[in-house]
Amino acid sequence: MLALAKVLEANWLFLLKALWVTLALSLMSMLIGLGLGVAVAVGRTYGGRLADLVLGFYVDTMRSIPILVIMVWGYFALPLLTGETLSPFLAAIVTLGVHMAAYVAETVRAGLTSVRGGQMRAALALGMSQFQAVRTIILPQALVRVLPPMGSLLVVAIKDSAVASVIAVPEFIRQTQVLVGNTYLSTQLYTFAMVVFFAISYPVARLTDLLYRRVAHLGAS
Amino acid sequence: MTFDWSVVWEARSQFLAGVGMTVFLTVATMLFAIPGGLLLAFLRLLPIKPVQWLATMFVEFFRATPLVLQIYWAYYVLPILTDLRVSAVTTALVGLSCNVSAFNCETFRAGILSIRRGQVNAALALGMGPVQLMRTVVLPQAVMRVLPSLASTWVSLFKDTSLVSIIAVPELSYIALKVRSDTYRILEVLTAMAFLYWALGFPQAKLVDWIHRKFKVVE
Repeated sequence: MLALAKVLEANWLFLLKALWVTLALSLMSMLIGLGLGVAVAVGRTYGGRLADLVLGFYVDTMRSIPILVIMVWGYFALPLLTGETLSPFLAAIVTLGVHMAAYVAETVRAGLTSVRGGQMRAALALGMSQFQAVRTIILPQALVRVLPPMGSLLVVAIKDSAVASVIAVPEFIRQTQVLVGNTYLSTQLYTFAMVVFFAISYPVARLTDLLYRRVAHLGAS
Repeated sequence: MTFDWSVVWEARSQFLAGVGMTVFLTVATMLFAIPGGLLLAFLRLLPIKPVQWLATMFVEFFRATPLVLQIYWAYYVLPILTDLRVSAVTTALVGLSCNVSAFNCETFRAGILSIRRGQVNAALALGMGPVQLMRTVVLPQAVMRVLPSLASTWVSLFKDTSLVSIIAVPELSYIALKVRSDTYRILEVLTAMAFLYWALGFPQAKLVDWIHRKFKVVE
């Protein structure tokens, strides 16, 4: 314990920076996942058969390939095709986001279809365009309704960001490994990393549940 | 640029062995994690507070921390705690089983709690003991209800086995990364790896969707 305290005292800034990278990875990949995922969900629900087929193929592909494989492919193989080299950080954010988007899309789609069809018909009867109806009536209700599963997905995003250590993004686990290499305190440092991750992810799920109880009435109809 | 797909064909026996290990890890982990999840669910439902707390702590901890970290932890800490030299495959199995057991626990618990209280009361009124009541009345219904969730966990587990490559377990992604560094045909080898995962995982994802439709609970 004393040895761990010494290492932490000497390296707290190093670890704080790593924690910052982990949080940036999780939040930015979640933002990409949200933007892309909502677009895919709307496309699948209202875009007709062909869009549903193509986007469904994308979603099922992402559901069947591990994030590690997608990330490694995006970082090492994709640049050979495009000729553009990505930094590890950027490659991690993009691949995590594209992976997350598939899960967000499935969740949002469930929310969209849960809003009764009469609301769409009423909106159309009032002279709204379909896009307008989705944007102002259906989607806001759907997003409120799927808030709890979105909280779980945010926890998944935080946990998945750990995979970026494999392509040497200097996030928390990678930097913990570096410290283990310098100090040989494997047990203490990995246990410490576990506690840190728990302290971040556990409250997120609880906080979204709390938030949901505040706004649940906005999704009821 | 030129592609040389022959390197993939030449490494086919290695790839095949990798696929075998991936499938083995998935099946073996699930075989441990179903009884493990059931046990944890029972412990969380027992009316003994300290037991409940311990089981809850275990479950929440494994659900809230990254699997990558759990695997490293098992790899470095398990030998020190138990004083045993265990192989990488055993370590991977322990790590994966603990993780999936925690998720299965919540699935089973939700299933058990979803069976209405009246059924338990009726069984008790008929003179059944708690074990008989669980075995013959509650569990058969609960398991059927949570089948879709278990199927989803199965696909997640299949994907998560790729993460044990970090401790050099020779499953599909570890083998592919090794073939890549042996041959330097990065694009071909990594694409083959992604394709193999896709070919294995896509039918499973579709099967899960079918199970979700087929076994949906309508109250």
